Amino acid sequence: MAIDSLVLGAGQEVGKSCVVVSINGKRIMFDCGMHMGYTDSRRYPDFSLISNTGDFDNALTCVVVTHFHLDHIGALPYFTEVCGYKGPIYMTYPTKALAPLMLEDYRKNMDRRGEDEQFTSDHITECMKKVIPVDLKQTVQVDKDLQIRAYYAGHVIGAAMFYAKVGDAAMVYTGDYNMTPDRHLGAAQIDRLQLDLVITESTYATTIRDSRYGREREFLKAVHTCIAAGGKVLIPTFALGRAQELCILLEDYWERMNLKVPIYFSAGLTIQANMYYKMLINWTSQKIKETYATRNAFDFKNVRNFDRSLINAPGPCVLFATPGMIVGGFSLEVFMQWAPSEMNLVTLPGYCVAGTIGHKLMSGKPTKIDLDKDTQIDVRCQIHQLSFSPHTDAKGIMDLVKFLSPKHAILVHGEKPKMATLKERIQSELGIPCYCPANNETVTVPSTHYVKADASETFIRSCLNPNFKFSTYSSVDKSYLDSKYSKAASGLQVSDERVAEGILVVEKGKKAKVIHQDELLLMLGDKKHEVQFAYCFPMHTERLQKTRTEELPSADTLLCDLDKCTLINQLSMKLSNELSDANILDLGEQLQVESFRVSICSKNSCPHRLSHSVHNDSESVFLCCHWSLRDEKLAWKIISIMKSSSPHTT
Amino acid sequence: MEQHVMNSIEQSLNNNQPLSSQTLASLRSLIINPTTSDSSLSSLLDALTRSLRLTRDSVFLHHCLKLLTDLSARRPHLSPFAVDLLRSDSLFSSASPRLVGESLSALLSLTSSQNDIDAARFVSLCLGPSVPVRLWLLKNAEKFAIRESVLLAVFLGFTRDPFPYVRKAAVDGLVKLCKNGDFNDRDVIEGCYCRAVELLRDAEDNVRSAAVRAVYDWGKLLVISSEERNKQDSSDAVFIQLCCMVRDMSMEVRLEAFEALGKIGLVSEDILLQTLFKKVLGINKDKIYKPIKVFEISASAAAGAFVHGLEDEFSEVRMSACYSLHTFTVFSSQFAGEALNLLMDMLNDDSKIVRLQALNTMHHMATCNHLKVEEIHMHSFLSTLFDSCSVIRSATRKILKLAKLMKLELFKLCIDGLLGNLETYPQLEPAFGGKLGFDSTRVAAFLVLAISAPLSNESDVCGVPSRIFSYAVTWLGRISYALSDVMNRETLLAYLSKCSRSSTISLADFKIKEALPTVKGDMPSHLCSEVGSPVSMPLWQKGVETFDHHHQKLFLGKSGTHLEYGLRECDELRQSVNLVFRKVKDLWSLVQLGCTNEALKAISRACKEEVASFTTDSPGSAGAVAFTLQYLRVIKLLAAVWEHLMPTKKLNCYGVGKLELLLGKLDRRLREIRNKFIGLSKAEELQILELIVVACLLRLSKIEICCYDTAMKKLSSIISHVEILRKGGPIEPSHFIIEVKKLLNDIGSSSGGSTCKPLLFKKLIDSFSLHQFVLGGSPRHINAELEVPGNDSENPLPFIPGIPASIPLAITLYNVLSEHRLWLRISMGEESTQFVFLDLNLIRSSDEVREFTFVAPFYLTPKAISFALRVSIGIECLQENVHQVKAFGGPKRELAYLCPEEEIFLCKSTKW
Repeated sequence: MAIDSLVLGAGQEVGKSCVVVSINGKRIMFDCGMHMGYTDSRRYPDFSLISNTGDFDNALTCVVVTHFHLDHIGALPYFTEVCGYKGPIYMTYPTKALAPLMLEDYRKNMDRRGEDEQFTSDHITECMKKVIPVDLKQTVQVDKDLQIRAYYAGHVIGAAMFYAKVGDAAMVYTGDYNMTPDRHLGAAQIDRLQLDLVITESTYATTIRDSRYGREREFLKAVHTCIAAGGKVLIPTFALGRAQELCILLEDYWERMNLKVPIYFSAGLTIQANMYYKMLINWTSQKIKETYATRNAFDFKNVRNFDRSLINAPGPCVLFATPGMIVGGFSLEVFMQWAPSEMNLVTLPGYCVAGTIGHKLMSGKPTKIDLDKDTQIDVRCQIHQLSFSPHTDAKGIMDLVKFLSPKHAILVHGEKPKMATLKERIQSELGIPCYCPANNETVTVPSTHYVKADASETFIRSCLNPNFKFSTYSSVDKSYLDSKYSKAASGLQVSDERVAEGILVVEKGKKAKVIHQDELLLMLGDKKHEVQFAYCFPMHTERLQKTRTEELPSADTLLCDLDKCTLINQLSMKLSNELSDANILDLGEQLQVESFRVSICSKNSCPHRLSHSVHNDSESVFLCCHWSLRDEKLAWKIISIMKSSSPHTT
Repeated sequence: MEQHVMNSIEQSLNNNQPLSSQTLASLRSLIINPTTSDSSLSSLLDALTRSLRLTRDSVFLHHCLKLLTDLSARRPHLSPFAVDLLRSDSLFSSASPRLVGESLSALLSLTSSQNDIDAARFVSLCLGPSVPVRLWLLKNAEKFAIRESVLLAVFLGFTRDPFPYVRKAAVDGLVKLCKNGDFNDRDVIEGCYCRAVELLRDAEDNVRSAAVRAVYDWGKLLVISSEERNKQDSSDAVFIQLCCMVRDMSMEVRLEAFEALGKIGLVSEDILLQTLFKKVLGINKDKIYKPIKVFEISASAAAGAFVHGLEDEFSEVRMSACYSLHTFTVFSSQFAGEALNLLMDMLNDDSKIVRLQALNTMHHMATCNHLKVEEIHMHSFLSTLFDSCSVIRSATRKILKLAKLMKLELFKLCIDGLLGNLETYPQLEPAFGGKLGFDSTRVAAFLVLAISAPLSNESDVCGVPSRIFSYAVTWLGRISYALSDVMNRETLLAYLSKCSRSSTISLADFKIKEALPTVKGDMPSHLCSEVGSPVSMPLWQKGVETFDHHHQKLFLGKSGTHLEYGLRECDELRQSVNLVFRKVKDLWSLVQLGCTNEALKAISRACKEEVASFTTDSPGSAGAVAFTLQYLRVIKLLAAVWEHLMPTKKLNCYGVGKLELLLGKLDRRLREIRNKFIGLSKAEELQILELIVVACLLRLSKIEICCYDTAMKKLSSIISHVEILRKGGPIEPSHFIIEVKKLLNDIGSSSGGSTCKPLLFKKLIDSFSLHQFVLGGSPRHINAELEVPGNDSENPLPFIPGIPASIPLAITLYNVLSEHRLWLRISMGEESTQFVFLDLNLIRSSDEVREFTFVAPFYLTPKAISFALRVSIGIECLQENVHQVKAFGGPKRELAYLCPEEEIFLCKSTKW
């Protein structure tokens, strides 16, 4: 059995995330994003690779969308309405709620730019009707075999990592995630699962970011200094996510510092988004959830609606305006008014597309910006660049992969050279095979497959009772537990071999069965065989002989019982000197160490006696040894001790 | 009903039939009913015993168990029988492990002592198939007296159990075992440690968090059992191992991890620094630790542990991380510096508790001299002064008080911040010590002082207007109290006066000698007199460096310097005490002028408050303070009596009684001051004697209240004592004493002494003037504490009327010498008083503190249901020759009491 991952997008690049995973006969499409950098066919994933005939309904079991960013959901209306996919689509509740806003916004912008319309407003509505919303940690049975489950991913509101399981094969697709919390969202959270495969984003494959607190501090300081001097702060921002995060940060600061300067939100998308955030409290950070009982954190106390008349009103203020990169709209309008004053401050988002005003401001501080042929803006205001990012950094990726410890890992959504570095790290540091396929490549990894087996009653009973074993001797007093514990060498370790002691029996034409080891012989109708070693060797006992002859002159050839005992006793003492940690049992005529037994051989022709060693000398005595396989090393050690000591035996 | 049920039981037992469930139910009602007689309950027990032999039905056994527990809970005196029955084999040998578990827990709940279930049975029950019983046994293992070795084996074994809760209980058991047990075997320790580390990767959150504790506790043992040269490495390895858990997905595990991290004391600096950086530091690359042969851990695993902790989503974890940081800031200033960068960011945290903890950690850093505030920190740091929460604001000011600012700019920023703080919250800022008048300028002055004290020496305090300093002078007392741990009052005053004069002042060329003459004029006289003394100027003589040094002494408490410091403090204390005495002397003139009330007020206000503010921490100071207080009391009484001698005062009947009372009180106080202090010099003793003489004269001068013979006897004995003192050494009695002596001689030589001459005495008294008492040494205060543990009106001691009762007293004696004679005075109401001699020779301990329990007999127990006794300890006044007390077998001389009376309650015993 194998898991095939066909990467249709975000393979060694950032944009149009889309991975189709075939797992035990099921095919799941994770994310259906678009690439914002292209306007040609490269904009969408190559869906024809899924099915040549265009029969996507049969080719795919379901589509799973992790969050509402366009590079994860942008192609969905196209795929459902234009390509005609009619199967189930899963996403979280917030994603379902906010995705239409995003798609509509994008469509309008496309319209404005005069591009070809890829999908219409109706398409979006229709597409959303097919979506089945899921909750966090809710296990959804897609069909008889396929289970999916969403885990919290941080990143943006409603973002989720998805766990999918078919039979015994299981995998996780992370989407975008953040391992550290921010002001309004928590950190990614997932259980320790048994996984064959993890597909993770790797936006920051090599970057290790500092604490976000530093960035917050800089931001607050810049804003506070500006308003304290009576200036106005313009925060051009994207409507969803960053605006709320910054606003919570400011609101909290305002509260603590007892500031009264107004904060404004430009009307439109942001207000609507705030309303959604207010409803989706369950998807926010711990702090917001905790305070929800007393106050909804998105009910901003100091925030008011802005209208154009306030642009030139006197006194300091803070304004959130869309769009983020000052490409047009309200943020540009305000920027034009405020930029010429040194007192004012404009913050810029972490990333601005080339060609936007935001980008121009970022690259060195220009004094004049040409908006178009006729308009020139005199820029004297202060510029502060924000570098907040909702993606996890390299350490976060490593931490997550380490926590999940899957059998294989695939990296997507990152830049190729950096991904290669991270891949090396995952393989060398965590010992997990890792891949970073390019677009339209398929990676195949083996999957787990369990055989179902019956279990015998004895086996089940033995599983219920603990059966732990310790290795090595310790100060643990086990006098009454002796039968239960065996001893071996090197380090105190404990094991519970209830399950390992079972024996899997697969008979032809029957279902596999696990039985207890005691039952095996019964089942096979056979007897127990054991490999036993035997060795008989002579031992020189001069001194012993002498004493014997003096005391008992009548018996020459045979050692009497008493002598046997003496000899054994001496051997026992000798051995206990040499093998301090062995348990030597002196059984009179016999000596026993674990399964090793030695006794004096009374037979004239012992079958275990090696012929060349036969001297049949009256002054030596034969020692016959038996031992079983498991104590082989010990046995030879004992024999060598006995042999080496034989001339000196006294 | 009772009889009916018993009959039906008899019947079924006689037929060899087990009791039906209906009968059992009626048995239960019998047991619950409080009126059921004991005899039927015992026969009920018998019946149960017999019935238990008949059946092994688990439902019946279960019922039985319930009945027995109920019975022993309700009838304590039958409980032993029930417990015996429970212990008997019938319940334990049941096939149902559940029942066995229940009977065990019933046993545990009934008997408080450790239970003697034998190890073999314990183990076999654990190894049985019932998981709940196993879990219960593991959780309650320590309640059975089972050998550690067996427990260890069982716990270690069950860490492999497939059930997570059993695993957790087993790990918890290992942790408990590790804390209580005594393990030396390296193999065992390594084994347990390894197992705990393995469980850090368990699938269950609960098990992982228990494993974190186990790693910490067994890791501690691992470090202890390591060879000396490996100790550091082992400790580092355990630390790194715990660091691995700070990224766990479960909040509980992370919290546990940070708590454990904070407790590890010994960590090398490289590793510590690594926890503050997510990037692996060069020095830690490829550093591998091998605490045990079988596994190794890389130093890089510690990377950013604290960064993650401080960034955590849960405020609990962030707070714990802040807290854990503080233990390490002591060891390394570099670590403290780096940690400060992170901590400063925590001041923007949205949780108040986290902000407060961050400030507390910084305060801790400041106290160990590791707080280096830099310019980039200032915005967040000073913003806490504007925090809407007053606790946070005051925490920040506390840090500012200790912080050493490197640059003048920082200092200026601080001042601005503090002034802004006051402007924003003018009505709300409470002061450091007591409450200040909420005048913002004054508070400002105060705050400015708080931070300007530790200012480093090279910078000039030019930014502060001198006016502020002059304001501060008016608040000297309060301010110096607030700053008492940093500098003393004189230093502060000198500093303030200097600063208030010149607008620019450099601390470096601030010389105390130059400052002094200018200072003198403005200061209250009692302060001024001592300023020149070298002892009180320890801080300024060596410039600011000394200050640092002094600081260190304060906080690090190095033994040698600490003692030195203590001595110096003692000297300072003595000076302040003598200042008080001087003031008293000055006030005495008021008394002589007749302004007694004013004088009394001044004494109690100025002096007592001042004395109360003296520290009694340093050795020997407690005695001096106690002595001063006693002296003040005497003087106050003396002044009160004096008032009655004023010619303006008409003595009426009421006045006579009052005067007598006052004189009695004065006598008592004088007796106390004379007998309760040892180690007074002769000069000091003479001064006290003089006071006693005055008291005698006062008595003699009032014919209405005077018992002439006794008073004269006393007077002459005192005078002869003075003679003895004078002969012993070179001290001169005052003019007043000489006069008194003369008078005594005159009286003696004239007419046998039976005529009293109040006018003569009065004249003498007029010639008395109070000298300033000078305390030279450090007197020791004889003192006692008396307590009857556990006795109050709710819990009286038992007694039997007419038979002596024993009263166990916990007694602590301070500075009692073996030649002292101590008595216990036990009185019942007004009517009977009994004295018991405390033989100190029987108590072997040092003179300084004797702590022992004494069982005092009380003989005259009344015929009453209950009564109360008052007990106190008195010391026999050996120096008084006048025998007044006529108690039989009691002390021959007057007693001075060493402790307040303790009330003891007794109640007639119900048990005979």
